[in-house]
Amino acid sequence: MLTIKNLHAQVEDTPILKGLNLEIGPGEVHAIMGPNGSGKSTLASVLAGREDYEVTRGSVDFCGADLLDMDASVRAREGLFLAFQYPVEIPGVSNLNFMKAAINGKREHQGLEPISAKDFLALVKEKSALVELAGRLRDRSVNEGFSGGEKKRNEIFQMAMLEPTLAILDETDSGLDIDALRIVSQGVNAMRDAGRSFLVITHYQRLLDHIVPDVVHVLSEGKIVKSGPKELALELEEKGYDWIKEPAV
Amino acid sequence: MSQSSAVQDFVANVQAPEGALASLAQEGQEGLDVLPVPTRKSERWKYSPITAMLAHPVALAPAPDGWPADVEPNPVPGLEAYRIVLVNGHVVPEACDLPVADGVVCMPWRHAVDEGHLANFDWSGYHRREWVGALHAAYVQDGMFLHVDKGVTLDRPVLVHHHTTGDHTAACPRHRIVVEDQAHAEVILWHSASSGATGMVNGVLEASLGAGARLGLDKVQHEEGEVFHLAHEHVTQGKDSTFRIHSMTVKGHWVRNELNVVQQGQGAHTIMHGAYLPKDREHVDNHTTMDHTVPNCTSSELYKGILYDRSTGVFNGKVFVRQEAQLTNAYQQNANIVADAGASINAKPELEIYADDVKCSHGCTVGQFDDEALFYLKSRGIGDKAARALMVQAFIGDVLEGMSQEEVAQEVETLLADRHGWS
Ligand SMILES: Nc1ncnc2c1ncn2[C@@H]1O[C@H](COP(=O)(O)OP(=O)(O)OP(=O)(O)O)[C@@H](O)[C@H]1O
Ligand SMILES: [Mg+2]
Repeated sequence: MLTIKNLHAQVEDTPILKGLNLEIGPGEVHAIMGPNGSGKSTLASVLAGREDYEVTRGSVDFCGADLLDMDASVRAREGLFLAFQYPVEIPGVSNLNFMKAAINGKREHQGLEPISAKDFLALVKEKSALVELAGRLRDRSVNEGFSGGEKKRNEIFQMAMLEPTLAILDETDSGLDIDALRIVSQGVNAMRDAGRSFLVITHYQRLLDHIVPDVVHVLSEGKIVKSGPKELALELEEKGYDWIKEPAV
Repeated sequence: MSQSSAVQDFVANVQAPEGALASLAQEGQEGLDVLPVPTRKSERWKYSPITAMLAHPVALAPAPDGWPADVEPNPVPGLEAYRIVLVNGHVVPEACDLPVADGVVCMPWRHAVDEGHLANFDWSGYHRREWVGALHAAYVQDGMFLHVDKGVTLDRPVLVHHHTTGDHTAACPRHRIVVEDQAHAEVILWHSASSGATGMVNGVLEASLGAGARLGLDKVQHEEGEVFHLAHEHVTQGKDSTFRIHSMTVKGHWVRNELNVVQQGQGAHTIMHGAYLPKDREHVDNHTTMDHTVPNCTSSELYKGILYDRSTGVFNGKVFVRQEAQLTNAYQQNANIVADAGASINAKPELEIYADDVKCSHGCTVGQFDDEALFYLKSRGIGDKAARALMVQAFIGDVLEGMSQEEVAQEVETLLADRHGWS
C-alpha cells in the first residue's frame, strides 16, 4: 500500500527527514513513536502534500502510484487521510459544507455525481454517532472554538466520513480524556479492515492498548532507527529512547 | 495636451440642463472653474486620480429609444420590487413600475424638481467642495425621487436600476430619498453597464431620515465595459432613526464610492457594510465618513475586500465623534486579502474623537490567504480553486449578512461565484 524509500525532506534549508524507509501493507496498523522534534509530523505533512516541505531525495509509492507527484487534494481523493496534530480553525466555513465539498471532490475524482442532500445527511448522522460528535459541533464553523479534544474528535469524524485507504493519525490521542480516547479508538477500530491501513503517531503506549499495532517504529533524527512488534512500545515506555537514539551509521 | 485643455475638452462636449436646474448647473459650472481637478496631489484623491478618465472626452447620451432588449429591467431573479430604471442617466418610463400608495411619492427626480418637491432643498454642498461634484451638478440628469410620509411603510422595496451603454458616455444620475418620522423604506441601487460601454457615471444620492425612520440601501455595482464610476451618497439621520447600506462592488473598471452619513438626532443607528473583489486591473475606492454629532448614537461599519491579479483598492474610513456626541458607540472594521502579488490596497481608518465618554473601536487588516487553512481544506480532497472559494465565501459572509433582500444577497453571491469560478 505504502512504500517509502530513502526519503529526504527539508524546510527551507534545514534537513529534517534524512533517509527514511517504511513499508505498510494493506490492512496493517503501524505505530510511529519517537522523541519531540524527530520528524514525525514532518513525515505526516510530507505524505499529505504540504508544500512548505521540499523532498530532496527518495520516493513514495502509494497503491502503485507516485504519491509525491500528486497535489494534496489529489492524494486525499486517492484515499490518503491525515488527522492533524494541530487541526486548523476556519471561521465562516461550516463543518458540514466543508465535508460536503470534500466528499464531492472525491466523488468527482471517481466520476460520480455529487452526493444527494439526503444521502449526505444520513452519512453525517451515521458517522457522527460513531465518534459521538455532538450536533452542536457538527453544525459550527470548522474547529472554531472547539476544545483541543473536540478538534481531535472532529478529525476522526472527518476520517469516518471520507473512508480513506490509508489514515495517518498524528498524535490524535494527545489532549483526549479517557472517555474520548476510548471513543476515538473505537472509531478507528470500527474502520479497520483488510483494505485499510493506519499509520499512528503517538507518544503513549496507552493508545496502543486500544488500537493494537502490527508494527512499532522508532523515528529519531529523521530516520526509522528501530522497528519491532507491539511489545516494543512497552519497552520504550519503560526505558525511554536513549538506548536506541544513536542511529547506526 | 495639457491637463487643463484635456479637462476643457472633457466637459466642453456636454450640454448643461435648463429650467429649474439651471442654478444648480450654474453653480456646477462655476465650481469647475475654481475647484482643483483631483490629482495625486490632493489627499482625498491620492490613490484614485481621475487623470485616466479625463484622457477621453465624454458626452451626455441622448434619451434612449426605450429600454435595451438584452438587459433585464429587474436584474434580480425572484425579487418583487417597484422599479425605476435609467439608461445613461435618462429615466425610461415604459420600463418603470412606480409605487402608487397613500403617503408615498415616487417619481423621476426631474419631475420632482419641476413640481417643486426640491424647492427648499438644501443641496448637500458636494458640488461646492469637489470638482467631480461640480461636474455632476453642471450636467445633472435624472433619477429617482422617493418621499415616504410619516408612519408609512413602503410595502415593497424600490429597485433603482441604472444601465450604462455606448461609447464615451457621460451619465449624471441623481436621487433623493426622504423618509419621514417613523416611516420605512428599502431601496436597491443596481448599476449595470454593457460590455462595450466606456465613459463615466457620476451619480449623487441624497437621503434624509426623520425621527424613528428606517432606510435600507442594497447597492450593487456590476458593470461590464470600461466605465469610470463616481458615486456620492449623503445621508442625514434624525433621532432614533436607522440607516443601513450594503455596498457591493461585484465588478467595475474604476470605482470611487463616497459615503457620508451624518447623525443629527440622538439615538440614531447606522450600519455600513461593503465588499469589493476587484480583478484584472480594476480599481475600487471606498471613502466613507461617519459623523457623530449628537449623544447616544451608534454606528457599525464593516468593509471587506479581496484583491486579485493587478487590481488596486482603497479604503478610507473617517469616523468623527464631535464634542457633544457623548456616549457614542462606534465600530469600524476593514479587512483585506491581497490574493495575488500584483494586487494592492491602501487602507486607512481615520478616527477623530472630540468627546471623552465614548466607545470606539476600529481595526484594519491586510493579509494573504491563510496557507494553513488552505492546506487543511486541500488535505481533505478539496481542490485549490474550491478551497479558495470556500475561504473567500467565509471571509465575506458576514458582510453579506443583514441585507434586507434575500434575493439580492443571493444574486450577489451568484454573480461573484460566476465571476470567480466558485460554485
Ligand atoms: N515549518 C517548519 N519550519 C521550520 N522548522 C520546522 C518546520 N516544521 C518542522 N520543523 C522542525 O523540524 C523538526 C521536526 O519537527 P516535527 O514537527 O516533524 O517533529 P515531531 O517529531 O512531530 O515532534 P513532536 O513529537 O513534538 O510533535 C523540528 O526541529 C522542528 O522544529
Ligand atoms: Mg509532531
